[in-house]
Amino acid sequence: MKEKINFHLIKTLLKKQFIERTYGYKRKNFDVVGFILRLAIIAMLMTVFIIFFGRFMDIYISVKDGGAVNVPLRLGELLSIVYTIVIIFMTISAISRINHEIFNADDIKTFAAMPIGAKSLFISKLIVIYLNQLVFSAVAVLTVNITVAIHSAVSPLFFVFTVPACFVLPLITIAIGSVLALPFNLLSRFLQSKFVINFILVTAIAGGLFYLYSIILGGVKEMLLGDSLRYFFNEARMSAIAGAVSYMYPAKWFANMFTGTEYLVSGLGIVAVLAVCLVLSVVIINYILRGALQSRVAGTQRFIRRSKPLSNCKSGFFALVKKEFLLIFRTPSYMFSYFSVAVIMPLMVYFCMSISSSLVTTLVGLECNPELALFLTLLFGALTNVFCATNISRDGQMFYTVKAMPFGYKTVFFSKVFLCMLVTVVSQLATAVLLASTGYLVWYSALFIFIVGTLFGFVHVCVATRYDFNHARFSTEDDGEIKESDNVVSALIVLGLLVSVLVGGAVFVIRLIMLLFNSDFGYATYLIAGGAAVVSSVLAYLYLIGKLGKKYYEFEGGEL
Amino acid sequence: MRKPEKYSERYEMQSTTPQEVVRVNGLYKKYSGSSVYAVENVTFSCYEGEIVGLLGHNGAGKSTTLKCIEGMLPFSGGEIYINGHDIKKDPVKAKQSMGFVTDNHAVFIKMTGIQYLSFMADAYKVPTKRRAERLKKLEEVFCLGDAVNNLISSYSHGMRQKICMMGSLIHMPKLWIMDEPMTGLDPRTMRAVQNFMHEYVAMGNCIIFSSHALHTVARICDRVVLIRKGKQISDLNVKAMVEDPSFDFEEFFLEGEREAAEEALNDRAGLSAVQTEDDQ
Repeated sequence: MKEKINFHLIKTLLKKQFIERTYGYKRKNFDVVGFILRLAIIAMLMTVFIIFFGRFMDIYISVKDGGAVNVPLRLGELLSIVYTIVIIFMTISAISRINHEIFNADDIKTFAAMPIGAKSLFISKLIVIYLNQLVFSAVAVLTVNITVAIHSAVSPLFFVFTVPACFVLPLITIAIGSVLALPFNLLSRFLQSKFVINFILVTAIAGGLFYLYSIILGGVKEMLLGDSLRYFFNEARMSAIAGAVSYMYPAKWFANMFTGTEYLVSGLGIVAVLAVCLVLSVVIINYILRGALQSRVAGTQRFIRRSKPLSNCKSGFFALVKKEFLLIFRTPSYMFSYFSVAVIMPLMVYFCMSISSSLVTTLVGLECNPELALFLTLLFGALTNVFCATNISRDGQMFYTVKAMPFGYKTVFFSKVFLCMLVTVVSQLATAVLLASTGYLVWYSALFIFIVGTLFGFVHVCVATRYDFNHARFSTEDDGEIKESDNVVSALIVLGLLVSVLVGGAVFVIRLIMLLFNSDFGYATYLIAGGAAVVSSVLAYLYLIGKLGKKYYEFEGGEL
Repeated sequence: MRKPEKYSERYEMQSTTPQEVVRVNGLYKKYSGSSVYAVENVTFSCYEGEIVGLLGHNGAGKSTTLKCIEGMLPFSGGEIYINGHDIKKDPVKAKQSMGFVTDNHAVFIKMTGIQYLSFMADAYKVPTKRRAERLKKLEEVFCLGDAVNNLISSYSHGMRQKICMMGSLIHMPKLWIMDEPMTGLDPRTMRAVQNFMHEYVAMGNCIIFSSHALHTVARICDRVVLIRKGKQISDLNVKAMVEDPSFDFEEFFLEGEREAAEEALNDRAGLSAVQTEDDQ
C-alpha cells in the first residue's frame, strides 16, 4: 500500500523536536553564562567581520582594471568569492545536521518500531534541517550584504534579492549536503573504530584550518599596518582571481543578481540549480532515512579486534588513568576537544605570536615578547583545559560504579588530574620549545613560560574538576556522552579568560610602564606571573581537596 | 474459625550461623530532597555459604539497600559491615572483598571486554599469574567467546550483563552482590550462572541478589529478605519453604502485597473518618 503523508503526524513530530530543543532554555536547565557568552562571541565576530570585510572591500573595489576602477566587476568577484565560502560552510553544516538528524538521532530507533511512515518522518526531519540552515543563511547573507551596502552604492534590487537569497541558499546547501552525507557517514563509521587514524586526521584538519585562519589574520594585520595589501593585487593575481571566479557556480549567479548583471541567465541558472537540488534532496535524504531506519532496527556495527590476554598487574591509580584516557580517546567529540586542541595549542600560540609580536612592536614601539607569549599561553591553555569542566560528569553512571570499587577518593580524583596534567605539560612544553626555537623567546623566558603555563594549567584542572564534582550532571544518553555544554563549562570558560586577561594583561602593562620609564625592573614580569602562579596553584589544590573525602562519601548527585 | 497460619510466620528465620560476611544493622536511607525514607530500619546478616535474595515490589528499596551495601550511596542511619570492615569508616578494605553487578549494567563501553576485565583485575589487585586461569574459568560459565575482544559499546544487553558479571568475579570476592542479575540473560547462561552461584557459595563465599523472578529466587536462595516500601518485612528460610509441597511462592509474595494494600486502604479510611469528624 502506498504510504500517505500524514500532516497531523508531521505537526506532532515537529512539536516533539521543538519541546526537545527548548528544554535547554527552561529555567532550571538554562545555561545563562553560556548563552550570553555565545551571543557575545557571535556579536563580536559579526562586528569584526563587518569592520574588516568593509575595509578589505574598500581596498579591493579600488583595484584598477586596465588603468581604471571597475566597481561592479570587482564587487561581482568579491561577492562570488564570499558566497562560495558561505555555501561551503553551509554545506559542511548541512552534512553535519543531516547526519545528526538521521544517522545519530536517538529518536530514529524508537520511530522505527512505531507506526510512523518514513515519508512523514522524512518531511519533519527535512523541515528541521531546513530551518536550521535558514538561520545560518540569514545571519551570513545579511551580514555580508549589509557590509556591501554600507561600503558601495547598490541598487534597490540588491535589497530585494537579499530576502529570496536567504531562503534559496539553504535549499542548495541541503541538496549538496545530502549528496555528501552518505559518504561522510560511511567515512565516519569507518573511522569510528580507527581511533589513531581518526585522531591524526581530525588534528591535521583542525591544524590546517587554524593555519588558514592565521593567514587571514596576517592579511588583516597587513591591512592595519600599511598599503602592502593594495600592492598584493597586481595584474597577474587579478586575472587569476577573475579566472577562478568564472567557475564559482552557483555563487556567481547570486553575485550577478545582486550586482544587476546577466539577470536572465543568472536567474534561470539559480532556478535550474534549485530544481535539481530539490529533486536531489528529496530522493537522497529519503533513501538515506530509509537506510538509517533499517540499520537502526538491524543493529549497529561490530568491531572485530585482535585477541589479547589480560594485562599484567598495574596499580589502581594507573588503571584509572588508562580508563580515563580510553574514555576520551575513543569518544570522537572528547578526543577532538581535548587531545586535538592540546596538540594544536602550540601552533595556535605560535601563529598568534607571529602576528601580534610585530603588531605590538609597530603600534607601541616596544618589544614585549615574553609578556605576549605569557598572555597567549595562558589564554589558549585555559581554552584547552575547559574540557576538564566535565572531568566528573562525563563518567556518567560509571562514577557510582567506580565509587563502589576499592579506590580511595584521592586515587579517583588524582588520576583525573594526573591525566589532564600530562596533557598540559606536553602541550606547554611544545609551546615553549616552539617559541624558543623560532626566536620569539630566549631559553630562560621559554622555561619560565612553561613553568607558569603548567602551574596555571594545574589551577584550571583542579578548579574545573572540583567545580564539576560539586555540580555534576550525568548524561541520560546510553553512552553517557555529554553533547552540550552547561553552566559549569561556561563559567569555567569565563574564569579561564579572566585569569589569562588579568595575569597576562597585568604583566604586559607593567612591562610597558617599566620600558617607558626606562626602569631596570624588567624581572617584575617574572616575579608577578611566577608569584601569581604559585599562590593560585596552592589555593586551587586546597579547593580541590577541601572536605573532598566527606563530599565523596555523601555524593548522590548527577541525578541518579 | 481458626485463622490459617501465614507463610511468613511459619518460615521466619530462627537461627544464625557464626561466619558473618555482611551485617546490615538498622539501615536508614533518605534521598536528598525527599521527605520519606527509601529504606527504613533494615537489619539482616549474610553468612558464608549462603545465597540471600532481596525480594520486593518495584520501588520497595531493594536496589537502594544494595547500593548502600556497595558503598555507592551514603546512608542516613545504621551501620554496614563487610567482612568485619565498616563501609563508612574503612570503605576501601570493605569494598576489596566484594564484587557487584548493578541493575543498569554501568560499564566502561569505550573499552574492549578484555580491557575492562584487565581494569577490574587491576582495581581489585588480582596477581598477574592468576589472571589467565580466572578468565578461563569465567569464560566457561559466561561463554562470551571472541566478543571479549570487541568494544563493549558493540555488545547487546545480555552481553553487557555477562561482562559485568565477569568483571565482578575476576577477584573471586567473598561477597558477590547482584541487582536483578538474570535480566537479559539467555536461558543457557541463566542456568550456567545459577549453577555457578551454588558452586561459588559452596567454596565459602556469600551472594546477595535482588530479583523479581520469584521462581528463580525460590530455586537459588537459601534465605529471602522481604522489603516493602523501604521496610524490612521478614527474613525467611526459603529452603524449608520450598520443601513443603503445599508451598506456593507466588501466593506467599502476593499475600504480603494484599496485606499492604489493605493496610493502606484502612489508613486512608481512618484518615477520611478523622477528616469528616473535623469537618463536622
